[in-house]
Amino acid sequence: MINKVEKKYTDGEWSSYKMTLTSGKIWSVPLVADNTDYQAIQEWAAIEGNNIIDNGA
Amino acid sequence: MAITRIGNPALADVREPNFRNILINGDMSIAQRATSASSLTGSGYNTVDRFRTNMGTAGTWTQSQSTDVPTGQGFATSFKMDCTTANGSLSGGSFLIIDQRVEGQNLQYLKKGTSSAESTTISFWVKSAKTGTYIAALNDLDNSRYIANSYTISSANTWEKKTITYAGDTTGAFGNDNGASLKVQFWLVAGTTYSSGTLATSWESNTSANNAVGQVNLADSTSNEWYVTGVQLEAGSVASDFEFLPVDVNLERCQRYYHKWVSEHVYANIAIGIVAGVKNGRGVYQNKVQFRSAPSLSADGNFRIVGDASATGTGSDIAVIRNNTYIHYLDFAFSGGSNNTVAYACEMGANNDADAEIEFSAEL
Repeated sequence: MINKVEKKYTDGEWSSYKMTLTSGKIWSVPLVADNTDYQAIQEWAAIEGNNIIDNGA
Repeated sequence: MAITRIGNPALADVREPNFRNILINGDMSIAQRATSASSLTGSGYNTVDRFRTNMGTAGTWTQSQSTDVPTGQGFATSFKMDCTTANGSLSGGSFLIIDQRVEGQNLQYLKKGTSSAESTTISFWVKSAKTGTYIAALNDLDNSRYIANSYTISSANTWEKKTITYAGDTTGAFGNDNGASLKVQFWLVAGTTYSSGTLATSWESNTSANNAVGQVNLADSTSNEWYVTGVQLEAGSVASDFEFLPVDVNLERCQRYYHKWVSEHVYANIAIGIVAGVKNGRGVYQNKVQFRSAPSLSADGNFRIVGDASATGTGSDIAVIRNNTYIHYLDFAFSGGSNNTVAYACEMGANNDADAEIEFSAEL
């Protein structure tokens, strides 16, 4: 289960998500629609109360 | 020159094309993630490649790649579920399913959604401590359609071969793409949400109550274990012999969906790159198998960037920055060690850690 999601930036551009699971495992997720982790993040973020952290570039 | 088939002459005309098994790793021989995983209460991929656990409020389980196999059938491994905390009072929404998801582009020859739709037959060897009725189903994810059938475990703790044929479905074509179109499901636990109706033994619009009617509760005792191997789904109404593939072929088929790089040497490199910042290296890792989609990455262990110095860090500081199905641009952004000179070439890999690993996942 997803615990936390952050936007990651490279050279000032949003380049991936950093997804932390409740187990503590961390995944770097590409911004690609047919990646199932990317899809899971979209579903998770659509639930009220879940917010993707964006600390900027 | 005539070609003579060696073996049973009665089978001489039987068509057994290569790669007829729609499922991957049906002999349970590949387990890249782990050979055992304990304390499981939720969903995910845990051990044997391509076989996913889907679970909610159904006890606690240990899953493993087992060497308990049916005698004399050629199998070396099986998939095992072992109940470690029972749930004898299921909630309505309880479920435990082992499934495999199949890309739609690999299913076009079934001609689903046409008047020529092919029937399919699943065959497998199964062994369970609990006798009774179990459900095996096909779940069309593109069109929300479903068909199921039951099989019976007649004798406890005894390997039995089961064969089920599903009719072709003239409604709803599978998408011709790399998305999950079909789930092949083995039910082990089903609360009333999934079992209070009439079992969907013909293709129908997916109705939860009709999914797993009659399914025994395999979570009702810590004595319960369930094994399966030799899982094969093929077109037609006849189950052919299980199609054994060479291990390299089987592994590469699994690696389309998941691949684990393990250092196996204290300073093994995963990529050659360039120093982009004094403690930031970027390189390219090219997998020999084309992934289903651009994969996610998870790294664990100690890593380093070696240019003219050595910056160090851990797996949590490694990310994908650009990605496609062939080439993966890795970003190592560390805080430890020494400063490299920007624009120097660098090696990127394990830092005195033979167990460092990076997982790539393009699972369905």
